[in-house]
Amino acid sequence: MKKLFTITALSLALFSQLAHATQTIKANVNGMVCAFCAQGIEKKMRALSQTQDVYVNLKQRTVAVELKEGQTLAFDTIKDLIKDAGYEVTAIEMSTHPVAHIKADLEAKDGKQ
Amino acid sequence: MFNHAKYYLPCLILLLSGHAYAGPMGFKDSYMVMGDFNNNWRESFINYAITPRDAWGVSATYMRADDKTKSRTLEEVTYTRLLHRWNMPHAQANLWFMGGIGALQGKNNLGENDGLSRDQDFNKTMVTPGMQFDYETTRIYFQAAHRLYRTSELNHDYTSVRAGFSFYEARYDQTQPWFILEARNMNGLSEKIEITPMLRLINKNYFIEAGVNNFSEPRFNFMYIF
Repeated sequence: MKKLFTITALSLALFSQLAHATQTIKANVNGMVCAFCAQGIEKKMRALSQTQDVYVNLKQRTVAVELKEGQTLAFDTIKDLIKDAGYEVTAIEMSTHPVAHIKADLEAKDGKQ
Repeated sequence: MFNHAKYYLPCLILLLSGHAYAGPMGFKDSYMVMGDFNNNWRESFINYAITPRDAWGVSATYMRADDKTKSRTLEEVTYTRLLHRWNMPHAQANLWFMGGIGALQGKNNLGENDGLSRDQDFNKTMVTPGMQFDYETTRIYFQAAHRLYRTSELNHDYTSVRAGFSFYEARYDQTQPWFILEARNMNGLSEKIEITPMLRLINKNYFIEAGVNNFSEPRFNFMYIF
C-alpha cells in the first residue's frame, strides 16, 4: 500500500511538472539586422494574448516567444506575424526552456563569436 | 568645396564597400514619424503602413537656396511602396518607391532694382516620384536615393548617397552608435554637394542622427515608429 502511494505521488508530481512545462516558440529569422526595424516583431508578439515574454537576438537571428501557462499558439501565426513585420522565418521549433534561459544561452554564444 | 571633396571622397568610396538601415515606413499597422532639419532643408512627415509593403502619409518640406534668394514650401500627400526586399541571413536590402503630390509655394527674391524689391511669389502643383535602395547588416549601411521634385516649370530633383558603419555590435535592447556620411544635392537650389558626417544612434524605440555639414551648418534627423 505504501509502495502504491509512493508511485501515485511520484506520477502526480511528474504529470504536474509536464502540465506546467514552459512552452517557448523559437524562430530563426532572416533579414533581422537592426533593432529599430525589428521592433515590429516584438510589438506584434507582445500583443498576442498567449504571450508571456518575448526575446529578440539580432546576432543569432532568433525570436523567442514564451507562452503563458496552458496557452498554445500555431507556428503559422508566428510565421505570419514575422512576415507582416517584414522578415522571413527560416526555421521554427518548440522549446521547453523559458525566455530567460534562451536569452542567457544565446548571449553566451554572442560573447564567444 | 573641392578641398572638402578631396578629403571626403576617399572616405565615401571606402564606406561604399561596406553598408545599412532604416526604411521610409514601419511595419504593418504602424505610424512612422520622421524629421530632417538643417538651415536650408526642413522636412517632417508621418505615414501609416496599411500593409507590410504600402504606406500613405503627409509631408511638409521647406527648401531654401544656398544664397537665400529662393525658398519653397511643399505640402504633399505621400505614398511609399516596398518594391522588393531581400532578407538574407545577416543582411537586408530593399528597393523602395516613394512619391507624392502636393502644393508648392515658392518665392524668388530677385534682388533690388532702384531700391525696389523684386520678390516673385507663385503657387504650383508639384509631383515627387522617386526610388531608394538600401542595404544593411548589423555593422555596415548603404543607401542611395533619387527623387524628382517637379512642377510644370521647376526641377528641384534630389539625390543622396549615404554610407556608414557601427562602432560595435549591440544587443537588441541596447543603443547602437553609428558613423554615417551623406552626400546630397537639390537641383536648382544648390550648385554644391552637401556632405554631412553624422553620429547616428539606433535604439529599438528611436533613431536619431546629428552632424555638421561641409558649410559648417548643423543637421538633425529623427525617426520614431509607434
